[in-house]
Amino acid sequence: MAANDKATKTETAKEEQASPILIQMGIFAAILFVSSLISPLFPATFPVPTPVIGLVILYILLATHIVKLRNVEKFGDFMISLIAFLFVPSGIQLAASLDILKAQGVQLVVVILIATIVLLVVVAYTTAGFIWLRKNVFHRDVNVEE
Amino acid sequence: MITLTGTAHMAVWGKWLGDALGTNAAGASAGNALFGIFLSLVVYLFGQWLFKIGKGFFLFQPLFVGMVLGIFILFLFAKAFGTDTATFYKSAYLPGGNIIFWFLNPATIAFAIPLYRRNDVVKKFWLEIVLSLIVGLIISLFVIYYVSKLIGLDNVGIASMMPQAATTAIAMPIATAIGGNSAVTAMACILNAVIIYALGDWLVKFFRVNSDPIGAGLGLGTAGHTVGSAKALQLGSIQGSMASIAVVVISIVVDIVVPPFASMMGLI
Repeated sequence: MAANDKATKTETAKEEQASPILIQMGIFAAILFVSSLISPLFPATFPVPTPVIGLVILYILLATHIVKLRNVEKFGDFMISLIAFLFVPSGIQLAASLDILKAQGVQLVVVILIATIVLLVVVAYTTAGFIWLRKNVFHRDVNVEE
Repeated sequence: MITLTGTAHMAVWGKWLGDALGTNAAGASAGNALFGIFLSLVVYLFGQWLFKIGKGFFLFQPLFVGMVLGIFILFLFAKAFGTDTATFYKSAYLPGGNIIFWFLNPATIAFAIPLYRRNDVVKKFWLEIVLSLIVGLIISLFVIYYVSKLIGLDNVGIASMMPQAATTAIAMPIATAIGGNSAVTAMACILNAVIIYALGDWLVKFFRVNSDPIGAGLGLGTAGHTVGSAKALQLGSIQGSMASIAVVVISIVVDIVVPPFASMMGLI
């Protein structure tokens, strides 16, 4: 029972530590705004879109401890939990290119299906290969905590 | 007589609905965003419900159901209004769809959080991560190129297939630059995500991808973009972190590798 109380207490303490949701949204908005200013600086032949820059900026801010996990965690995890729903408009966007599908549709879908599997499997096994090299050829530590 | 009143009713209802959806000439400028938001939510929630009562049958994944059902409903509406699906999509669905679509910006940024949570793995394996993504992408490009040729795509189609590992906003301009059709590339990026979302668990098991957690994460992030990262997070924190880093690094690698690859293969 006592342990249970303690757990609840640390839980509430953690809750209190988290920044208010509006502040978390503000941090995201600020990062997005700065990223949208940086994105056009890249040449057209080397496009780097706003959200990719934003991801890098937030990672750097977290790694340098300028932004703490508790400042962004709650809103960020919420957004990640929504990701499948947020892709619904992208999926429905195909309604605008049904004519492309009519022309070469089946072939395209087959190639995309194969490409998806190829990317998954090839990248995964290439990585396993490099990890194997690191362990058996360069004799460096490959252990990670679960 | 009855048919006449019926038609009159239809006309009144049709005008009201058309105004509300912004498909009538009068309402075209004031496209109503609520229809797009409502339709997206309804089809997705229906997909969730179907997934639950279908006991997790892979074709009932909410994103896939939502996409197919959404397009079908737009197709029916377009028929009812006597326009084509693309026009109806643009005037009635897009204003609301764009509002939801915008939230992919903060959602993508948010993947810095699972990435940072396993910063220990990133710091330790950064060289292996970058090398694996570069080499993995080059091998995949060869396979995709010859598969496309074998299946009989023309050069435009092949060029459109090359940049699909990158996030849509990078893949589209690259496709145009190497002589592809950016709409087809966008379709590929979307279908990558849908396929990984629907078949990811099965593919991971079938190809034993998860035997190496770092590889599983990088693979899912490369093949399924941010949706792949969400899938990877379900496998574990290492996989989620690796998928998040893959989404960023593979996009930059595509930026650098795909144009010279296309010219080497004689696509441009």
